[in-house]
Amino acid sequence: MSLLVFAGASQFAMVRLFSESAPTAIVIASVLFINLRHALMAASLRSQFQGLPVLGRLFAAFVLTDEAFAMATGHFRRGGRSLAYYVVFAISLYVLWNVATLGGIVLGDAIGDPRRYGIDFAITATFIGIVVLAIRHRSDAVIAVVAALVAGGLALAGASTIAVITAGALAPSIAVFTRR
Amino acid sequence: MIWIAIVGSALATYLIRSIPFAVTIRGRLPEAASRYLDALPVAIIAALVGPAVVAPAGALTHGAEPLATVLVIATVAWRRSLLPGVIVGVLAVALFRLF
Repeated sequence: MSLLVFAGASQFAMVRLFSESAPTAIVIASVLFINLRHALMAASLRSQFQGLPVLGRLFAAFVLTDEAFAMATGHFRRGGRSLAYYVVFAISLYVLWNVATLGGIVLGDAIGDPRRYGIDFAITATFIGIVVLAIRHRSDAVIAVVAALVAGGLALAGASTIAVITAGALAPSIAVFTRR
Repeated sequence: MIWIAIVGSALATYLIRSIPFAVTIRGRLPEAASRYLDALPVAIIAALVGPAVVAPAGALTHGAEPLATVLVIATVAWRRSLLPGVIVGVLAVALFRLF
Protein backbone atom coordinates (compact mmCIF):
# COMPACT_ATOMS: atom_id res chain seq x y z
CA MET A 1 0.00 0.00 0.00
CA SER A 2 2.80 2.41 0.87
CA LEU A 3 4.35 1.89 -2.56
CA LEU A 4 1.17 2.88 -4.42
CA VAL A 5 -0.68 5.28 -2.12
CA PHE A 6 2.15 7.54 -0.94
CA ALA A 7 0.05 9.57 1.50
CA GLY A 8 0.48 9.09 5.25
CA ALA A 9 -2.81 10.37 6.62
CA SER A 10 -4.88 8.50 4.02
CA GLN A 11 -3.00 5.28 4.69
CA PHE A 12 -3.87 5.47 8.39
CA ALA A 13 -7.49 6.20 7.51
CA MET A 14 -7.54 3.27 5.04
CA VAL A 15 -6.20 0.85 7.65
CA ARG A 16 -8.95 1.92 10.06
CA LEU A 17 -11.64 1.60 7.36
CA PHE A 18 -10.34 -1.83 6.29
CA SER A 19 -10.49 -3.03 9.90
CA GLU A 20 -14.14 -1.94 10.00
CA SER A 21 -14.62 -3.64 6.58
CA ALA A 22 -15.97 -0.44 5.02
CA PRO A 23 -17.24 -0.56 1.39
CA THR A 24 -14.66 0.11 -1.33
CA ALA A 25 -16.41 3.30 -2.48
CA ILE A 26 -16.27 4.75 1.07
CA VAL A 27 -12.55 4.04 1.30
CA ILE A 28 -11.81 5.75 -2.02
CA ALA A 29 -14.07 8.74 -1.23
CA SER A 30 -12.39 9.24 2.16
CA VAL A 31 -8.95 9.17 0.58
CA LEU A 32 -10.10 11.69 -2.03
CA PHE A 33 -11.29 14.06 0.68
CA ILE A 34 -8.23 13.73 2.88
CA ASN A 35 -5.96 14.43 -0.08
CA LEU A 36 -7.85 17.43 -1.47
CA ARG A 37 -5.32 19.63 0.34
CA HIS A 38 -2.62 18.39 -2.06
CA ALA A 39 -4.45 20.11 -4.90
CA LEU A 40 -3.93 23.38 -2.99
CA MET A 41 -0.25 22.54 -2.46
CA ALA A 42 0.25 21.70 -6.12
CA ALA A 43 -1.46 24.97 -7.08
CA SER A 44 0.93 26.87 -4.85
CA LEU A 45 4.06 25.10 -6.14
CA ARG A 46 2.93 25.24 -9.76
CA SER A 47 4.88 28.33 -10.78
CA GLN A 48 8.15 26.74 -9.59
CA PHE A 49 7.57 23.70 -11.77
CA GLN A 50 6.49 25.51 -14.94
CA GLY A 51 9.90 24.94 -16.53
CA LEU A 52 9.73 21.15 -16.27
CA PRO A 53 8.47 18.93 -19.10
CA VAL A 54 5.05 17.35 -18.52
CA LEU A 55 6.55 13.98 -17.49
CA GLY A 56 8.77 15.66 -14.90
CA ARG A 57 5.79 17.52 -13.48
CA LEU A 58 3.73 14.31 -13.32
CA PHE A 59 6.55 12.64 -11.40
CA ALA A 60 6.87 15.63 -9.05
CA ALA A 61 3.15 15.25 -8.34
CA PHE A 62 3.47 11.59 -7.38
CA VAL A 63 5.98 12.34 -4.62
CA LEU A 64 4.18 15.49 -3.40
CA THR A 65 3.46 15.14 0.32
CA ASP A 66 2.89 17.54 3.24
CA GLU A 67 6.53 17.17 4.23
CA ALA A 68 7.98 17.64 0.74
CA PHE A 69 5.71 20.64 0.22
CA ALA A 70 6.75 22.24 3.51
CA MET A 71 10.48 21.74 2.93
CA ALA A 72 10.27 22.96 -0.69
CA THR A 73 8.28 26.03 0.35
CA GLY A 74 10.86 26.85 3.03
CA HIS A 75 13.60 26.45 0.41
CA PHE A 76 11.90 28.69 -2.19
CA ARG A 77 11.01 31.33 0.43
CA ARG A 78 14.65 31.58 1.47
CA GLY A 79 15.38 32.48 -2.14
CA GLY A 80 16.32 28.99 -3.35
CA ARG A 81 15.59 28.34 -7.04
CA SER A 82 16.78 24.80 -7.70
CA LEU A 83 14.21 22.05 -8.05
CA ALA A 84 16.85 19.44 -7.13
CA TYR A 85 16.16 20.22 -3.46
CA TYR A 86 12.53 19.15 -3.84
CA VAL A 87 13.27 16.12 -5.98
CA VAL A 88 16.02 14.72 -3.73
CA PHE A 89 14.02 15.35 -0.56
CA ALA A 90 10.81 13.87 -1.94
CA ILE A 91 12.50 10.72 -3.31
CA SER A 92 14.41 10.15 -0.06
CA LEU A 93 11.12 10.49 1.79
CA TYR A 94 9.47 7.93 -0.48
CA VAL A 95 12.27 5.42 0.00
CA LEU A 96 12.55 5.97 3.78
CA TRP A 97 8.76 5.82 4.23
CA ASN A 98 8.64 2.41 2.54
CA VAL A 99 11.72 1.07 4.36
CA ALA A 100 10.16 2.24 7.64
CA THR A 101 6.82 0.63 6.70
CA LEU A 102 8.63 -2.66 6.22
CA GLY A 103 10.45 -2.10 9.53
CA GLY A 104 7.12 -1.46 11.23
CA ILE A 105 5.67 -4.70 9.85
CA VAL A 106 8.61 -6.66 11.22
CA LEU A 107 9.24 -4.84 14.52
CA GLY A 108 5.96 -2.99 15.21
CA ASP A 109 4.87 -4.80 18.34
CA ALA A 110 8.22 -4.44 20.10
CA ILE A 111 8.31 -0.61 20.06
CA GLY A 112 5.25 0.34 22.10
CA ASP A 113 3.74 3.85 22.18
CA PRO A 114 5.96 6.39 20.32
CA ARG A 115 4.12 9.31 21.93
CA ARG A 116 6.02 8.64 25.15
CA TYR A 117 9.23 9.95 23.57
CA GLY A 118 7.73 13.06 21.97
CA ILE A 119 8.95 11.87 18.52
CA ASP A 120 5.49 12.43 17.02
CA PHE A 121 6.00 16.16 17.69
CA ALA A 122 9.18 16.39 15.57
CA ILE A 123 7.33 16.94 12.29
CA THR A 124 4.93 19.41 13.95
CA ALA A 125 7.89 21.37 15.32
CA THR A 126 9.53 21.33 11.86
CA PHE A 127 6.39 22.74 10.25
CA ILE A 128 6.06 25.43 12.97
CA GLY A 129 9.67 26.41 12.29
CA ILE A 130 9.08 26.60 8.53
CA VAL A 131 6.09 28.90 9.11
CA VAL A 132 8.13 31.14 11.44
CA LEU A 133 10.96 31.42 8.88
CA ALA A 134 8.54 32.02 5.99
CA ILE A 135 6.73 34.98 7.61
CA ARG A 136 7.60 38.20 5.78
CA HIS A 137 4.69 40.52 6.57
CA ARG A 138 2.41 41.00 9.53
CA SER A 139 -0.45 39.65 7.41
CA ASP A 140 1.47 36.35 6.97
CA ALA A 141 1.52 35.91 10.77
CA VAL A 142 -2.20 36.69 11.05
CA ILE A 143 -3.01 34.23 8.24
CA ALA A 144 -0.87 31.50 9.84
CA VAL A 145 -2.56 31.89 13.25
CA VAL A 146 -6.05 31.96 11.71
CA ALA A 147 -5.34 28.88 9.56
CA ALA A 148 -3.94 26.93 12.52
CA LEU A 149 -6.83 27.81 14.83
CA VAL A 150 -9.54 27.10 12.23
CA ALA A 151 -7.96 23.73 11.34
CA GLY A 152 -7.50 22.86 15.02
CA GLY A 153 -11.09 23.83 15.81
CA LEU A 154 -12.45 21.75 12.93
CA ALA A 155 -10.37 18.76 14.01
CA LEU A 156 -11.74 19.11 17.56
CA ALA A 157 -15.27 19.25 16.18
CA GLY A 158 -14.66 15.88 14.52
CA ALA A 159 -14.17 17.21 10.99
CA SER A 160 -10.48 16.34 10.72
CA THR A 161 -10.78 15.08 7.11
CA ILE A 162 -11.75 18.55 5.86
CA ALA A 163 -9.88 20.62 8.48
CA VAL A 164 -6.70 21.31 6.51
CA ILE A 165 -8.33 21.92 3.13
CA THR A 166 -10.92 24.30 4.60
CA ALA A 167 -8.54 26.31 6.77
CA GLY A 168 -5.82 26.31 4.12
CA ALA A 169 -8.17 27.56 1.42
CA LEU A 170 -9.95 30.19 3.54
CA ALA A 171 -7.12 31.87 5.43
CA PRO A 172 -5.21 33.24 2.39
CA SER A 173 -8.27 35.30 1.38
CA ILE A 174 -7.25 37.61 4.26
CA ALA A 175 -4.28 38.61 2.09
CA VAL A 176 -6.56 39.70 -0.73
CA PHE A 177 -8.21 42.30 1.52
CA THR A 178 -5.20 43.65 3.46
CA ARG A 179 -2.76 46.30 2.32
CA ARG A 180 0.92 45.53 2.26
CA MET B 1 -11.80 -6.14 -2.45
CA ILE B 2 -9.04 -4.55 -0.44
CA TRP B 3 -6.87 -4.44 -3.56
CA ILE B 4 -9.56 -2.62 -5.54
CA ALA B 5 -9.77 -0.05 -2.73
CA ILE B 6 -5.97 0.35 -2.65
CA VAL B 7 -5.67 0.84 -6.42
CA GLY B 8 -8.68 3.19 -6.44
CA SER B 9 -7.19 5.22 -3.60
CA ALA B 10 -3.86 5.36 -5.40
CA LEU B 11 -5.56 6.83 -8.47
CA ALA B 12 -7.55 9.33 -6.40
CA THR B 13 -4.41 10.44 -4.54
CA TYR B 14 -2.44 10.84 -7.72
CA LEU B 15 -5.05 12.65 -9.81
CA ILE B 16 -5.63 15.28 -7.12
CA ARG B 17 -1.93 16.04 -6.91
CA SER B 18 -1.18 16.10 -10.62
CA ILE B 19 -4.06 18.12 -12.10
CA PRO B 20 -2.80 21.55 -10.92
CA PHE B 21 0.67 20.65 -12.26
CA ALA B 22 -0.52 19.44 -15.64
CA VAL B 23 -2.59 22.53 -16.41
CA THR B 24 -0.62 25.44 -17.80
CA ILE B 25 -1.91 29.01 -17.50
CA ARG B 26 -0.69 31.60 -19.96
CA GLY B 27 -0.44 35.30 -19.26
CA ARG B 28 -0.38 37.14 -15.93
CA LEU B 29 -2.58 36.33 -12.98
CA PRO B 30 -4.87 39.07 -11.61
CA GLU B 31 -3.50 40.93 -8.55
CA ALA B 32 -5.97 39.33 -6.11
CA ALA B 33 -5.16 35.81 -7.32
CA SER B 34 -1.42 36.30 -7.01
CA ARG B 35 -1.83 37.66 -3.47
CA TYR B 36 -3.93 34.63 -2.60
CA LEU B 37 -1.36 32.19 -4.04
CA ASP B 38 1.42 34.08 -2.26
CA ALA B 39 -0.23 33.59 1.13
CA LEU B 40 -1.30 30.00 0.38
CA PRO B 41 1.85 28.04 1.39
CA VAL B 42 2.09 29.55 4.87
CA ALA B 43 -1.64 29.00 5.43
CA ILE B 44 -1.50 25.33 4.39
CA ILE B 45 1.50 24.53 6.57
CA ALA B 46 -0.08 26.35 9.53
CA ALA B 47 -3.32 24.44 8.92
CA LEU B 48 -1.37 21.16 9.04
CA VAL B 49 0.08 22.20 12.39
CA GLY B 50 -3.21 23.35 14.00
CA PRO B 51 -4.82 19.94 14.65
CA ALA B 52 -1.55 18.44 15.97
CA VAL B 53 -1.27 21.29 18.51
CA VAL B 54 -4.91 21.84 19.51
CA ALA B 55 -6.22 18.29 19.20
CA PRO B 56 -3.39 15.71 19.29
CA ALA B 57 -4.84 12.17 19.02
CA GLY B 58 -8.28 13.69 18.36
CA ALA B 59 -8.99 15.14 21.82
CA LEU B 60 -8.41 18.60 23.32
CA THR B 61 -4.78 19.06 24.35
CA HIS B 62 -3.82 19.08 28.03
CA GLY B 63 -1.45 21.96 27.36
CA ALA B 64 1.81 20.19 26.51
CA GLU B 65 1.61 20.83 22.74
CA PRO B 66 0.68 24.58 22.89
CA LEU B 67 3.42 25.22 25.47
CA ALA B 68 5.96 23.39 23.32
CA THR B 69 4.74 25.37 20.28
CA VAL B 70 5.50 28.67 22.03
CA LEU B 71 9.02 27.40 22.81
CA VAL B 72 9.55 26.26 19.19
CA ILE B 73 8.41 29.64 17.81
CA ALA B 74 10.71 31.50 20.23
CA THR B 75 13.69 29.24 19.47
CA VAL B 76 13.33 29.42 15.67
CA ALA B 77 12.72 33.20 15.74
CA TRP B 78 15.86 33.62 17.86
CA ARG B 79 18.25 31.19 16.09
CA ARG B 80 16.72 31.63 12.55
CA SER B 81 17.24 27.88 12.07
CA LEU B 82 15.01 24.78 12.14
CA LEU B 83 17.03 22.14 13.96
CA PRO B 84 17.31 23.87 17.37
CA GLY B 85 13.55 24.43 17.26
CA VAL B 86 12.82 20.77 16.52
CA ILE B 87 15.10 19.58 19.34
CA VAL B 88 13.56 22.01 21.83
CA GLY B 89 10.05 21.03 20.68
CA VAL B 90 10.54 17.26 21.03
CA LEU B 91 12.23 17.57 24.45
CA ALA B 92 9.62 20.05 25.69
CA VAL B 93 6.63 17.98 24.59
CA ALA B 94 8.07 14.76 26.08
CA LEU B 95 8.70 16.61 29.36
CA PHE B 96 5.34 18.41 29.54
CA ARG B 97 3.43 15.19 28.80
CA LEU B 98 4.77 13.72 32.06
CA PHE B 99 2.51 16.09 34.01
